[in-house]
Amino acid sequence: MSSNVDKMAEAYMQKVKRPMTWSGIPLEEEYRPEDLSGFDYSKSLGNAGTYPYTRGIHANMYRGRFWTTREVCGFGTPADSNKWLKFQINEGVGGLNVIFDLAGSMGLDSDHPAVEEDVGLGGCPFTSIQDMDELTADIPLDKVSFSLIAGDPMTLSAYVAVAQNRGIDISKLVGTIQNEPLHARWCAADARFYPLDLCYKQSTDIIEFCTRSIPKWTPVNINLYDLRETGINAVQEIAFGFSIAMAHLDAVIARGLSIDDFAKRFAFYCSCHIDLFEEVAKLRAARRMWARLIKEKYKAQNPQSWWFRFAVHTAGSSLTYQQPMNNIIRIAYEALAAVLGGAQSLHACSFDEPVALPTRDSQRLAVRTQQILAYETGVANVADPLGGSYYIETLTDKIEEEATKILDQIEEMGGAIGAIKSGWFENEINGASLRFQRQIENGDRILVGVNDFTIPPEEEPIVGTHQIPPESGPLQISNVKAFKASRDQSKVIEALRKVRAESQKGDKFNLMPVSIEALKAGATRAEIQGTIREVYGYPYDPLEVIEHPFPSIKE
Amino acid sequence: MNAAGNKPRILISKVGHDGHDRGAKVLATMLRDAGMEVIYLGAHQAPEAVIVTALQEDVDIVGISYLGGDHLKYTPKLLKLMKEKGLGARPLIVGGIIPRQDIPLLKEQGVAEVFVPGMPFSQIVDFINEKTSAK
Repeated sequence: MSSNVDKMAEAYMQKVKRPMTWSGIPLEEEYRPEDLSGFDYSKSLGNAGTYPYTRGIHANMYRGRFWTTREVCGFGTPADSNKWLKFQINEGVGGLNVIFDLAGSMGLDSDHPAVEEDVGLGGCPFTSIQDMDELTADIPLDKVSFSLIAGDPMTLSAYVAVAQNRGIDISKLVGTIQNEPLHARWCAADARFYPLDLCYKQSTDIIEFCTRSIPKWTPVNINLYDLRETGINAVQEIAFGFSIAMAHLDAVIARGLSIDDFAKRFAFYCSCHIDLFEEVAKLRAARRMWARLIKEKYKAQNPQSWWFRFAVHTAGSSLTYQQPMNNIIRIAYEALAAVLGGAQSLHACSFDEPVALPTRDSQRLAVRTQQILAYETGVANVADPLGGSYYIETLTDKIEEEATKILDQIEEMGGAIGAIKSGWFENEINGASLRFQRQIENGDRILVGVNDFTIPPEEEPIVGTHQIPPESGPLQISNVKAFKASRDQSKVIEALRKVRAESQKGDKFNLMPVSIEALKAGATRAEIQGTIREVYGYPYDPLEVIEHPFPSIKE
Repeated sequence: MNAAGNKPRILISKVGHDGHDRGAKVLATMLRDAGMEVIYLGAHQAPEAVIVTALQEDVDIVGISYLGGDHLKYTPKLLKLMKEKGLGARPLIVGGIIPRQDIPLLKEQGVAEVFVPGMPFSQIVDFINEKTSAK
């Protein structure tokens, strides 16, 4: 008892120990008018809906429309994932968001012999048009906003093919494809799956195709979130992400499109970590920096091209395995930061994410977290509610200043591609991951329930009970084999021959239309992609385990 | 030091195609800083390749990081391969996103220890030192 009382006396005296943001920006005790001396409202902020959009891209912000509640999902088979989507729709989400499995993320078919154990893990499998049809069964694609977390063109091609087969006018489709293969090189896959030249060519194909044929579709969603999850800080998140975005812009411009043709459909996928004010300031700074970049450097004329449109994914890496219920609180704060920062779309994590796939209960709670924010707290009533705060404005300026420095440094290295090729990005990321871990190890960063306020393991609750049905992987593999056996082989061969012929027309020739046709003819993602890969001088199979199944197309 | 008076040699890898390699990389660096010989293979490794490397490199201990929900599938394969290659006596340790209820299952399969997120790094170092000095 007496030792507990001593502990309490100690707790009574505890205070802020680390007066800086998690990005290491030192903080004063208080921010005052003099901290904003020379502050020019119209230049630095402007009203919401006006350049440089620091306060929000729309004048009325959430009075026009709330952010889209959109929870990432996908597991097991396409049918398992479809059931989950229907569950989400029933809970009141505003949009759908599907991630694809480990095999698919590398562009491989589910029946590839080296991915047997990976099918249906980490997302929904997708091999053929049949899978996409099952994933989207009973969902009217012309009435929903659908986000595809995929880095290659085959996923979107299959979505378009399914919509066309259902008689839908594809110009009406609304949604997003991540289409950001660059980030995958350090966040998901290696260069075998995403050779730089080909991934840029195909990413540009998607942007060009969407601009011309599905104008309401967001053809690229720059993934700052995955970058941030490596352990980099808020300032680096902007700088690294913007450098990647600029590489995409440059590639599309080189294709012959003008900045105002496509920049208005660019979007970003940001993180919101646990440092609430820093995250809000980061989002505000990003909005201002992007507007200036697109207007001043890229000379865009259309104000919509200047908009930094973004979704937020609350930070999975901020969640803890220990005392997982505490994550409910972390997620709520991070979701709050997203809304205070003016997000257009939000994935709130489920509290059991550091342990396993979300259960229905934990996923429902994530949706409710967003609904409580929207309908109960009142935080969405007014645009940029923290704008004008001495602290927030100082922090916004500071983050912009620091991020600009890093961005300039990357530019000197030849932009994102130069920084990837030289290994600079990888070094920075590895250093950041290590620094983050050391901060936890040495107690510089307190994680409640992990390195302080801990409980014995036997008192920890059991969560993470949602297991992927063990039969779903083998089922998907056998479904894919049956699909391949039942197709009209001559149609597939004809389609792949055409894919090969069009791939030989040079890297500026758009391969989306021929891919869509080939999927409709029954060719699979890996068959189409492998055919393209061969023309570009890469092995059919990135893992070099299997050969082209229809070598006759090369004759 | 291991029984032969050398630094403990540990192989750190992932198996399968889950790309979440942040934990494995950080651990590899921190073990190296703690004075161990670390062979780091990274993500996208086949179980066979991991165990063949373990044999060729004559490691004292094998550490596998799982974040893809695939731990119960791959672990028996790895253990079987270790036995076949004469590495049955070397410990296999596992870390990452492992639900608590799966920890006893992994230990039943033959895993020497399971380290979950948030455990102090020193626990891993102590465990490796203890296992390798007793070899």
